[in-house]
Amino acid sequence: MPVSLDYVARETASNLWRNRLMTIAAVLTVAVSLSLVGSSLLLQQGVAHATAMWQHGVSVEVFLKPSVSNSQRASIQGQLRQLPYVESCLYRSKQYDYNEAKHLLTPDESQALTVATTPASYRCVLNNPSQAQAIAKQFDGYPGVRNVASPTQSIRNMESVTKILRWVFLALAVILLLSASVLILNTIRLAIFARRREVSVMKLVGATNWFIRLPFMFEGVIQGLLGAVVAAAVVVVLHLVLDALGNSKTTTILYQMRVSTHEVVGTSLVVLLVGVLIGSVGSAFGIRRFLDT
Amino acid sequence: MISFENVTKSYKGGTLAIRDMSLDIDKGEFVFLVGSSGSGKTTFIRLLLREEAPTQGRILVAGRDIANLSHWRIPYLRRNIGCVFQDFRLLPNKNVFENVAFALEVIGRPKHVIASQVPQILDLVGLSKKRESLPGELSGGEQQRVAVARAFVNRPLILLADEPTGNLDPATSQGIMRLLERINKTGTTVVIATHDSGIVDQMRRRVVELDHGTLVRDQARGVYGYGT
Repeated sequence: MPVSLDYVARETASNLWRNRLMTIAAVLTVAVSLSLVGSSLLLQQGVAHATAMWQHGVSVEVFLKPSVSNSQRASIQGQLRQLPYVESCLYRSKQYDYNEAKHLLTPDESQALTVATTPASYRCVLNNPSQAQAIAKQFDGYPGVRNVASPTQSIRNMESVTKILRWVFLALAVILLLSASVLILNTIRLAIFARRREVSVMKLVGATNWFIRLPFMFEGVIQGLLGAVVAAAVVVVLHLVLDALGNSKTTTILYQMRVSTHEVVGTSLVVLLVGVLIGSVGSAFGIRRFLDT
Repeated sequence: MISFENVTKSYKGGTLAIRDMSLDIDKGEFVFLVGSSGSGKTTFIRLLLREEAPTQGRILVAGRDIANLSHWRIPYLRRNIGCVFQDFRLLPNKNVFENVAFALEVIGRPKHVIASQVPQILDLVGLSKKRESLPGELSGGEQQRVAVARAFVNRPLILLADEPTGNLDPATSQGIMRLLERINKTGTTVVIATHDSGIVDQMRRRVVELDHGTLVRDQARGVYGYGT
């Protein structure tokens, strides 16, 4: 049976208006729940970015003995350059390291240092941070090498922390999504329950199930969409705030967590899609028990 | 028009609502279904509307077995059966005209049909002047007239009424009965479940009596109780 669009539009509009308190409740539920879901997704992506940035900046320092000979130094340099996971290596002279040490250490600690006893070093940037330990192993005890400083442990810690963080945010998003679905479903069912009389009359005079269902589903879609639009706006605002904070302090983690516009748009689209889906499926599901005869 | 063939209906709890019932109602008949509360009158109506399926037996409406009607066909069955209840079941936020029009709207009738048929039927039930009123502003008798108009506006083959006068005083009840008689004269089969002995005794129509789900009496030009 053809369901006239005109009827569905009119019925949907008047239902939304007549049950405006319920409409507001449903829209707010969707908005709050999906805001949290969207924010979690955004933060999850931010953490992923920060992790990538940290991994990119990992460097290994190979300190040379003060007594290192020129041939030993050339051999070390040659080997470092050959390693596939080493992006680049810089040679730092004794003088450079001495200045840096004086800069980093307190005057008390740096008193004993002289240029002659300070080791020269190779600072190598890796393209694969997990290989830091391999370098340490290879060059430890190598002729002319004093020691190898690799941030192995701290990288490991950081990686595991960010991994956990990403999972936590993802799990949070999923849990919030589930609870949001239940909340929305419940709200829609309440709205339908409030109008069970109307539904029973429609059934009585021979309206088809789709005829009864369609206005409710449209209503659900509109409520879901409205809520999702608010949620998407919250995601965008959150992004803008974090971005502004991060850009003003480039050293903070917020700077490293910045996500691209592309990702924000993607997240907002996901939020909108979920809103519409929850609205339509939720209302179709909510009305099911009133239609079963 | 309506034919029950050895119909039994038991509910999940084991209650036997209709017991091996066979009954034929011809087109254009006017039938009272009487019996005390719990005798199976309401189940009879629910079976006809296919709100319930019989446990055993066949129910034919206009020659079609509705016992194993597929789900999506049920609405089309109901379009052929108008129904009136004790509690009117009007939509409180729609006015008289809208309540009646609703019945045509939800089965997809075009606007011009609604615009011509609804005033016609409101005229028949005598409520042309109250078409803008809300149900809450009407008396019980007027509300039941709206309900009758809604049930009949689609010109169904059958009109069912479940205690249509249960909430009305005798004088108003007579008015409703006269209305149902007029509808019956148009060729519509009318079945009224009631325990209003006054109107049954007065109208002397076919009476079918149920007792604990069993058909105990089927009498042409009958009365409510035995005797006289």
